[in-house]
Amino acid sequence: MKQKEINNIDPHAIDIEKVYTIEESRPLGDGRRSDTMTINMGPQHPSTHGVLRLILTIEGETVVKAIPDIGYLHTGIEKTAESKSYHQAVVLTDRMDYLACLNNNLAYALSVERLLGIEDQINDKIKFTRVILAELQRIASHLVFLGSSALDLGAQSVFLYCFREREVILDIFEYISGVRMMTSYICPGGLQADLPPKFEQMVRDFLAYFPPRLQEYHALLTNNQLWLERTRGIGILSKEDAIAYGASGPTLRGSGFVWDTRKAFPYSGYEQFDFDIPVGNNGDVFDRYLVRMLEMEESLKIIRQAVDGLPAGRFRVTDNKVAPPPKWQITGNMEALIHHFKLYTEGYRPPKGESYLRTESPKGELAFYIVSDGGPNPYRMHVRGGSFANLQVLPRMIEGNFLSDVVAAIGSIDIVLGEVDR
Amino acid sequence: MVITAASTVETVRNTFPQAIVETIDFRGEQTLILEPASLVEVCSFLQKDLQYTFLETITAVDWPERVPRFDVVYQLLSIPHQCFLRLKVRVGQRKEKYPVVPSVTGVWPGANWYEREVYDLFGLIFEGHPDLRRLLMPHDWTTHPLRKDYPLSGFDLPEPHWGGQVPYTVDPGVGELYNQTLRTSESRGLNEHRSQINSGQEPGTSPALPAEDKDNL
Repeated sequence: MKQKEINNIDPHAIDIEKVYTIEESRPLGDGRRSDTMTINMGPQHPSTHGVLRLILTIEGETVVKAIPDIGYLHTGIEKTAESKSYHQAVVLTDRMDYLACLNNNLAYALSVERLLGIEDQINDKIKFTRVILAELQRIASHLVFLGSSALDLGAQSVFLYCFREREVILDIFEYISGVRMMTSYICPGGLQADLPPKFEQMVRDFLAYFPPRLQEYHALLTNNQLWLERTRGIGILSKEDAIAYGASGPTLRGSGFVWDTRKAFPYSGYEQFDFDIPVGNNGDVFDRYLVRMLEMEESLKIIRQAVDGLPAGRFRVTDNKVAPPPKWQITGNMEALIHHFKLYTEGYRPPKGESYLRTESPKGELAFYIVSDGGPNPYRMHVRGGSFANLQVLPRMIEGNFLSDVVAAIGSIDIVLGEVDR
Repeated sequence: MVITAASTVETVRNTFPQAIVETIDFRGEQTLILEPASLVEVCSFLQKDLQYTFLETITAVDWPERVPRFDVVYQLLSIPHQCFLRLKVRVGQRKEKYPVVPSVTGVWPGANWYEREVYDLFGLIFEGHPDLRRLLMPHDWTTHPLRKDYPLSGFDLPEPHWGGQVPYTVDPGVGELYNQTLRTSESRGLNEHRSQINSGQEPGTSPALPAEDKDNL
């Protein structure tokens, strides 16, 4: 078609109802006919983990076609960020993947730091603290995955245990930042505040407390015959599909791909830690579950190394064009006062350019694409969230499976609709 | 053979000399700006021959004062070679309401949702896309919110509309209305006025119940 003709087409006249009703009947051979039926699953459904709507065409109990419909949680975060200063936009990032806020903060902070060109000013204390927090947040996020996906398949007690352990992690976050979930603790240029004195001890207590609990989960689920029957061989995602559709994180590794951004493009000092990448074989629900269980152990390993090596130092860069000077300087130093005033009224102006920095969030590859036009606000902020691509590949997992297995498959890709819709 | 982002840029420059508009190296990230006509050709070359098998994301950037107006940005990753590359095409001539970009869904099936998202939020049409529908906004929405001339703080409807259905046909995203409604002090007053009269009923919800109905609930 010529360009001119396409410009004359009204793109809003595309008939979506035509796509949604796929009713047809198929002869069964004995004179009867089999009919397909189109049903809605969601947006208000307890096992869709938020406001996901699936339009399922079923034939009996089998899913013939699945169309995910998203956008029910679209809050326009990318648009909002264009009117905020770089520092103000940190709090928006918390609210995307609300189960892994610190990982979002970290990805945003790293991307802005690359844009500013201050990556080499970040000292080891900041890097190690960020790693400890990101890995604690990863465990917390995987605990929510474990609890909710087990709950979907009928194992209620796991949910309660997981939230009990998650509470310990949230207590640490509350202790350092005053907030349990939306901490905004990691920001471009360092951390919002210095670490309080008992932080290290709290993390060490958690390191002693958690491993026995993890063994309890293995005892409850990994060798549980009911759990195996509901998860093994269900929702299989092939290696080729996973890569072609851009699945990432545990969903990609469950299909047998050895790929972890922390190893491939180390950021925030991950190259200094020793850890392994757990990988599945079959790409089914059980493999994705097991990859996350093993990842929690790897996270514990990383946290242990980071806490042991946590050096003393400043918690923000010394460049006062980016990070505010200490409070005591502001009362006695004219220049510090001006910097403080400029930072909190206008913010900082990165040079013209763009940056895209990949990180490994619990849900998959998380990256912020930030374009600067030299002004104090991001000209454009785009978020590449793991959940978005992982949800796109969901129909490949569930088509041909039973309706009751759809619940298991949705649980196993661990989506957060806040990140999908942004 | 070791492939890096820099060597990829060289390879593409040698293989498709007519396709490259510009190359940028900023903070260690290579960007390759291509002619829209040869986008699919270069993409399938990168996917097949240089093993850029992983398409991370597609997005767009709106530069209203520039011609062509839109940057469409592709982030690619090569897992075997552990390197990444950014592709860009520039589309949108003057007075072109819905610029056309060739679709890369044939190269990476995962481009499907990303292209739908860009169509939804920027109004770019991906030629050859199998199912170009809105993704995030309601399907009867008429404008494209991430364009820079789309107002940030909502828009005024042409007349007071309490008790009635919000007319979705109102086009808030086109420049003139935006200038009328948001840039003038008079319209800011109108906005405040509207928020007062509308407390309790936001656009898109059903009309507030009469008092006696509330008692029955």
